[in-house]
Amino acid sequence: MAFDYKKEYERYKRYYQSIEPELAKPATRAYTAIIFSFLVVSLFSWYAIRPTMQTIFTLKREITDKTDLDKKMEDKISALIEAQAAYQDVEPNLPIVNQALPVTSDAVRAARQLQALASDSHVTITGISISNVPLAADTGPREEQKIAPNKLTDFPVSLTVTGAYLDIKNFIQGALNLRRVIQIDSMVFSPVRASGTIATNSATPTSTQIKLDLKLKLFYLSSSS
Amino acid sequence: MKILSPSQDNDRDLLLISVFTFFTVTLWVFFEVLKTVKTTTITPQVTQIIVPLSPKIDSQILQTIATKKSY
Repeated sequence: MAFDYKKEYERYKRYYQSIEPELAKPATRAYTAIIFSFLVVSLFSWYAIRPTMQTIFTLKREITDKTDLDKKMEDKISALIEAQAAYQDVEPNLPIVNQALPVTSDAVRAARQLQALASDSHVTITGISISNVPLAADTGPREEQKIAPNKLTDFPVSLTVTGAYLDIKNFIQGALNLRRVIQIDSMVFSPVRASGTIATNSATPTSTQIKLDLKLKLFYLSSSS
Repeated sequence: MKILSPSQDNDRDLLLISVFTFFTVTLWVFFEVLKTVKTTTITPQVTQIIVPLSPKIDSQILQTIATKKSY
């Protein structure tokens, strides 16, 4: 059915006419103007001013961030160039660092070093025990995902040596002076009572046999993943 | 106390609604702009890349290690 505006106007005319005297009042006119002003400002704030302000401040922030980023990148590039020069200077000494802190546990080599030190110090190793330790470095499935070793890991080593007092002292000093990074956790000294020894009147400390129980920690670098 | 007519009462209510709408929208816009200003546009990956690097290598410690005995 088509909309017949004349008929509809006639029908609702009295409502329209009743608004007219109301709108003619000065108070109503003032109120209407103020209310619509507030509503229009709110509407434009939301749909026009807000996106514009956001764009302006996003761009300003981006400029500040990028300027700061550029400066930091420049600093980092300079630092990298300096680091490369410094690395080239110390490159011949890098195998020494690797010996001090290997990238694998290198337990066999460590045991060999302790044995050589014992031999040098004229003491006898009567027992050596190394706990569970990975003998080789972890190899990931993909080469490009490998992470450089960066975590300091340790494994305990228990060692029992016997020898004269001075030799034991030399052995401990030698262990502290080893290139491989070692930490002595505990030392237990006890005299050795050998059967069939001849007692003498002049028992000097140098001739006394001492048993030394050492608990060591040996360090190496491992991947933190 | 002055008694308001029903039409004046309506006008006052509408005015209050429009004023509150205006203040709500203004505060909303203000806080959105503030959030935009405070939020960085640099990604965490880039932040990780620009971590400062010290190019100094302690050569003294290398010499100390070199003096230590190795078998």
